[in-house]
Amino acid sequence: MTDRREAWLFLVPGLALLVLGFVLPILRMLVLSVLGPDGLTLQQFARFFQDGYYPSILWRTVRMSLVITAITAAIGFPLAYITSRVGPRLRLWLIVMVILPLMTSVVVRTFGWMVLLGRSGPLATTLRDMGLVGRSFSLMHTEAAIVLGMVQVLLPFMVLSMLGVLSRLDPRLEEAARTMGCSFLQTIRRVVLPLAMPGVVAGSLLVFTLSASSFITPSLLGGARIEVLAGSIYKSVTQTLDWNFAAAQSVILFLGLALVLIPYLRLGARHG
Amino acid sequence: MSDLTLRQIEKSFGRTKVLHGIDLDIRSGEFVSLLGASGCGKTTLLRIIAGLESVSGGSVSIAGRDVTELPPEKRDIAMMFQSYALLPHLTVAENVRFPLRMRRRGSREEQVAQVEKALETVQLGHLGDRMIRQLSGGQQQRVALARAIVSGPQVLLLDEPLSNLDARLREEMQVELMEIHNQLGLTTIFVTHDQEEALSLSDRVVLLNNGRIEQQGSPHAIYSAPETGFASSFLGAANLLPVAVEDGPVARLADGQELALRDEETQRGDRMLLLRQEDLKIVPATTAGALRARVAIRVYLGARYRYMLDLAGQRISLTAPNSVHVEPGEDVDLTIAPDRIRLLAR
Repeated sequence: MTDRREAWLFLVPGLALLVLGFVLPILRMLVLSVLGPDGLTLQQFARFFQDGYYPSILWRTVRMSLVITAITAAIGFPLAYITSRVGPRLRLWLIVMVILPLMTSVVVRTFGWMVLLGRSGPLATTLRDMGLVGRSFSLMHTEAAIVLGMVQVLLPFMVLSMLGVLSRLDPRLEEAARTMGCSFLQTIRRVVLPLAMPGVVAGSLLVFTLSASSFITPSLLGGARIEVLAGSIYKSVTQTLDWNFAAAQSVILFLGLALVLIPYLRLGARHG
Repeated sequence: MSDLTLRQIEKSFGRTKVLHGIDLDIRSGEFVSLLGASGCGKTTLLRIIAGLESVSGGSVSIAGRDVTELPPEKRDIAMMFQSYALLPHLTVAENVRFPLRMRRRGSREEQVAQVEKALETVQLGHLGDRMIRQLSGGQQQRVALARAIVSGPQVLLLDEPLSNLDARLREEMQVELMEIHNQLGLTTIFVTHDQEEALSLSDRVVLLNNGRIEQQGSPHAIYSAPETGFASSFLGAANLLPVAVEDGPVARLADGQELALRDEETQRGDRMLLLRQEDLKIVPATTAGALRARVAIRVYLGARYRYMLDLAGQRISLTAPNSVHVEPGEDVDLTIAPDRIRLLAR
């Protein structure tokens, strides 16, 4: 019994932090979203779905997050696989290279993309000189710009999640597959990928939630025209000062994420 | 016809050379053991045959085809790993079917039938639907064996397959391996550090030492006629004593004692005397022509005693039935039949 009580004591700081810092604010947000001038109301939610404007922002947020997740996974997997299979020295350098961007501010990196993608930036100038695009071409304020910037910001999370699982994978399994007639690519598809699924799922969850709730990079690279839900919430809080509506949008984002995540979690549970 | 030919195989890891020009011809259907201590290069040699390791020099041919530059999947081999390397996300049957699927051998129905047959061979026919983690170590080992034999490979490579099993299971699997080999007649290369395993299973034992072939031959030849001190001490518990062979002919030990040799022993000079412990007999003291030794340590083994004896300044060991009682500190006499005496180069 004593060691049980000790175990509970051990949990107290973490639990307290979770309740104070997570459960209470979420409850407060839920309450705010259904609180009107005359008691409880679903008015804020009705307003969200009143016309196509806000649903289209929600859809864009989900759609872009899925694209960002897919691209990050596609780039991250080979990078993580190579990192897990090279010698210890090279591995250290690759990991440093992956982590290094995390040490600079997202804002700074996004400004970098603004310079690169702008009308007089190197990308547009080069394409224009090659005669491939017109004079007014710019990638700024497009969904492509947001995807590009977000992939760069979120890649480390994907790579590190995958790396954990991949480095614990026994390389003998890949060798065994080769002796059983698999080419290198078949080995990746039949052996490495299925066994790395928990890492792929964990990384995708992280990247998807982070990209669906981020607003700095989308608002800087997308501008006012291409709005995402997090940006819209930010606007409700800081510009129109409509906290109830902001809370309602947050609840919708929360539910939207949950709808995508639950099947994904099932996938992870099946492979884990 | 030779099924597998190795010519002048060299291998270096960085500056360390682990294989020094290995030449080996293996007949179709032969069971060959690569025997040696850890680090002798036996596993590296096996991995070179499999194509998992490249050579630094030399060539590998399987069934007359040079495969030196081919990746493992293009060689007609199957390999069983020490850690079994079963795929944990597949069932037992899916694991065994894996090489058939990847090599596109026959239709789905034919593959399923072959999988069933292979699982029957290793007596696991009823476990096809289990996941790998639900099996015991011994069962996993059988699955790995079934997976290795299912495609009927040109060469079957076994990398210390029995070393992770307990003694009883190991003996069982040895018998089973022999039966499967007799039944299927697959050319088999078996890597082991266990001399008993090598002697009991193979048609031929290849003894490796520091990346070179020390000696090779039938188990009987290599055990009864070792050519070097290393070969004799690695194969069976052997006692080695420096002697001088003199006219008589006799072998003179370091302390002056003499051991009579057979007349056909004509070579004179410094040699190594090999006394296998099962050939030595403890006899009552002062027997003519016997060697005098002193008992240092006695270990009780149940049916037998193991004695450590001091003979001519060397520690030798032998086992004796428990009907023979000698106390530590006592002197004993040892005899050995003249035709069991072997002399090696010093």
